[in-house]
Amino acid sequence: MQKTEFLLSLDELLELEPGTVKGSETLESLEGWNSLAIISLMALMDERFGVTLQPRRIAACTTVADLVALLDDKIA
Amino acid sequence: MKATVAAIEYHFPERCLTNAQLAAEFPEWSVEKIEEKTGIAERWIAAEDECSSDLGIAAARKLFDSGACRPADIDYILFCTQSPDHFLPTTACMMQERLGISTSAGALDFNLGCSGYVYGLGLAKALVETRQATNVLLVTAETYSKFIHPKDKSVRTLFGDAGAATLVRGVAGNDEFIGPFVYGTDGAGARNLIVPTGGMRRRVATGEGATMDSDGNLRSEANLYMNGAEIFAFTLQAVPKVVRELLAAAGKRLDDIDLYVFHQANQYMLEHLRKKLKIPPERFFVGMRHCGNTVSCTIPIALKQAVEEGRMQPGRLAMAVGFGVGYSWGATLIRWV
Repeated sequence: MQKTEFLLSLDELLELEPGTVKGSETLESLEGWNSLAIISLMALMDERFGVTLQPRRIAACTTVADLVALLDDKIA
Repeated sequence: MKATVAAIEYHFPERCLTNAQLAAEFPEWSVEKIEEKTGIAERWIAAEDECSSDLGIAAARKLFDSGACRPADIDYILFCTQSPDHFLPTTACMMQERLGISTSAGALDFNLGCSGYVYGLGLAKALVETRQATNVLLVTAETYSKFIHPKDKSVRTLFGDAGAATLVRGVAGNDEFIGPFVYGTDGAGARNLIVPTGGMRRRVATGEGATMDSDGNLRSEANLYMNGAEIFAFTLQAVPKVVRELLAAAGKRLDDIDLYVFHQANQYMLEHLRKKLKIPPERFFVGMRHCGNTVSCTIPIALKQAVEEGRMQPGRLAMAVGFGVGYSWGATLIRWV
């Protein structure tokens, strides 16, 4: 998955306009980043890559860049 | 002697909690958003003085009224709840008297949540096929609403109260109607779905000291807490595995099963699991729109609805899969009679 595609997926699951998430934001600053969004992200990663993200590791992320780093080998 | 699922009935309390009521209390959520995220339009909530025994008894009376059996036929009561009327005595014992069941019947409670129905069928089958009982009344009933903080939308939107009664009857012959069974348990997940206080380890249960979580939900330690993301992660691991294990144990393929009846946790999660397992929609039952997640009652309610909709008919094979609080999970096959 390209990073731009991942950011667009984040827009979609946060119900934001495409192109809203740029990649450097803190998660806290994103409207809609809550426990439901975490579950949606887990569902997306399971569907796309068959991996179960551990919620504790997602909760430890403070920025979108941290999320990208967490997904590491999945995002080009 | 082989055990069969001979009849199922269920009962909801009278008070309805709609999405419109929830949206009025939680203005950040719309009616549409609640339905979209949960697949639930309404739930039924027990009255202040209405307990799990009352819901279970109402369901059992429907079973008797339907002509499936008489109270005098019942020789064992299995009652599954996590919200019993009292610490003691055993709720099933009081149900014996209230239902007019013979004093020669055995009765016990067992404490399980969303996996409870599958475990109940396992216990009932064992009782019947070892000739300890012939007509087992398996009752599941739950009033989680009594554990839920009114300001906690994370669980209030999902859970509803209900009772369900199943007659597990022994019939002569060697054909299998229930089973095989696959079980699983992982107590490491205990903290992710829990009512922390009120039991003996932390006895004092007060509603005081409620705190707000990062999503704005309020709850105290006397309330139900669910870590939705952890439960989802558990489900993604446990459910596909138990489905595959049961198919292997039964020597069946995915498309040998006529209807998959999973614990109705929430529609979003069910749909994800269905796609992940590549089960076609016509073989997968979703029936929680008008009752929500009723814990150990979801599977019998769904089975009964499937019968009423003509999707379960004599000879058809259903897979029941329960999973949740504990963590505890289990799956079995039911050949409809």
